[in-house]
Amino acid sequence: MKAIEVENLSRSFNSVRAVDNISFTVDAGEIFGFLGHNGAGKTTTIRMLSGQLLPTAGGGRVAGCDIIAEQQRLKPLIGVVSEHQNLYERMSGRENLQFAASLYGQNTQRIDTVLEQVDLLDRAKDKVQNYSNGMKQRLLIARAILHRPQIIFLDEPTRGLDPVVGRDIRRLIVDMSQQGVTIFLTTHYMEEADQLCDRVAFLSEGRIVALDTPANLKTAHGKPQVDVTLDNGERVSIDLDGEAAGAQLAQLVNNGQVRTLHSAEATLEEVFIQLAGRRLSE
Amino acid sequence: MNFSVISAITRKDVVDAIRHRYLLTALVTPLLVALLFRVMLPGGDGRTVLTVVVHAAGSSALVAGLRNTPRIGVIEAASADAMASEVARTKAIGGLVVPANFDADLAAGKQPQLTVYINNEKTVFEQAAFRRILDQMVRSVAKQPEPANLIWVDVGQAKQEEIRGGTGLDQMLLPLLLLLAFGMTGAFVVPLLIVEEKEKRTIDFLLSSPASLNEIIAGKALTGAVYTVLIGGLLVGINRQHIQNWPLMLLTMLVGLVFVVGVGLVLGSLLNNTMQVNTWASLVLIVLLVPSFPSIGLPGWFDKAIRVVPTYYLTEALKLSMAGTMSRQLWVYLAVLLACTFVVYVAAGWALRRRN
Repeated sequence: MKAIEVENLSRSFNSVRAVDNISFTVDAGEIFGFLGHNGAGKTTTIRMLSGQLLPTAGGGRVAGCDIIAEQQRLKPLIGVVSEHQNLYERMSGRENLQFAASLYGQNTQRIDTVLEQVDLLDRAKDKVQNYSNGMKQRLLIARAILHRPQIIFLDEPTRGLDPVVGRDIRRLIVDMSQQGVTIFLTTHYMEEADQLCDRVAFLSEGRIVALDTPANLKTAHGKPQVDVTLDNGERVSIDLDGEAAGAQLAQLVNNGQVRTLHSAEATLEEVFIQLAGRRLSE
Repeated sequence: MNFSVISAITRKDVVDAIRHRYLLTALVTPLLVALLFRVMLPGGDGRTVLTVVVHAAGSSALVAGLRNTPRIGVIEAASADAMASEVARTKAIGGLVVPANFDADLAAGKQPQLTVYINNEKTVFEQAAFRRILDQMVRSVAKQPEPANLIWVDVGQAKQEEIRGGTGLDQMLLPLLLLLAFGMTGAFVVPLLIVEEKEKRTIDFLLSSPASLNEIIAGKALTGAVYTVLIGGLLVGINRQHIQNWPLMLLTMLVGLVFVVGVGLVLGSLLNNTMQVNTWASLVLIVLLVPSFPSIGLPGWFDKAIRVVPTYYLTEALKLSMAGTMSRQLWVYLAVLLACTFVVYVAAGWALRRRN
């Protein structure tokens, strides 16, 4: 079953085409990575898929709802974690969730459960303006999952966080996925995408330039070779497409000359550079 | 429109506004100004205007006359020697030392001595009023005729009463205070409520929730209305003795409230950050308030020029409603204000569609 289906989706702002005719699908329960440099169109895509912005062309269905005609039916079925920490800072963590619950017509019984899930129960009464960045990010996730959405859009959820907090957020994402929630994730961090995502799409200048599993992308765009470091410190690269590759590698191993052996698989970052012609951080 | 969503946004904003420094200032300012006027202006409380300290050696019609004069408060001094200190202590306009047999001596034409103390800390207007009242009172007790039969005719008074519902301080003060409360809603409260959601990007959260843009805006408008009703209600409650026709007054306030909330929606939709609100709102507030200022001493063209400001019609309608004057002029003012309100909401709709 498809959680998200997008067909020829486009959005222009005056003469700028922010999203240009993209099509893809996301399976229910999948963690789908949407990767691109700044201004590639990731956030615009999320805004269209979450009913905040109308496309200028094309369309799609999210959780079975048409993103143009059924925005109000769609919204209770999704959760959005914005790239900005858009919380009500003068209110406490609990008050933020109480307000969210009242918008979604939910009772407030689940608030404590969710706060505990993101490890904020003991700080629930504190004003958000006194929270650290990591705590705010966890509260954003709590707010997004409070109404038990089928799909969650996470826009750069670990940007600017220290590695430990980033790891906590990634753990939460995996937890949500294990509970059957479909995750649509944008990130700058290739390792994060590689680690978390079932499939990733590379977005450049508003267009999807590649879409596959991280493993397939790395294999397809990496070199078919192994790099061998010998006992004497010498480094040898063996092209696996070559006819004598097997025999050459076997000889080195049999002679006990191999100290280390690495595949020369490309990283996702390298694949992106190959396909988009620029680095993700540019 | 989902009313539970609108109500959720309003409840959040009503509570959150109290924690917002700027919003709280905007909300409390009209009440502070009202209190300031009550302290600064004589008779601001609608009861006593002048306090007079009296020491009379016997009973006198002069003292009785003072006691029966509206808006004069009489305090007794223990002795003639204590008069000066008592006038200063009680902040009275002045004091009178009335000798024994004052009334009889006066009637006999003996010119008895009446010592009058004047408090120079009071304004010259209050001192003049005290002198005039005292002069009239002494003539009355002596049963002396006025030196001349003065007939005072107020030129244009009837017309002025019909158009403006009276031009006394009381009639001008409450509309000014209400305009200030309404102006704060239109120029600061509603725009800030909308702009802050944009500035802090919380509007993205709201728009991804079941709230539509129309419901968000309705929630903000309702918050502005709640606070205006609260502050306006307090102001009207404090000055209730000046209101002659409550239904008319409430109707006029309602029309005014809808108008200023519309102004707030236009500003909130057009502006993007708190700094812009602070810059533009002050200007808008001044324009909204100008018609409520007393135009005494200002050139005639000014009086005509301010008629292009919609709150001119609100101010005049408030004055007539307070006076209980249900004239054709009042309905004309309300009709003009309603037409302006329609225009403002069309503009707000345009601004919101533009944002979307």
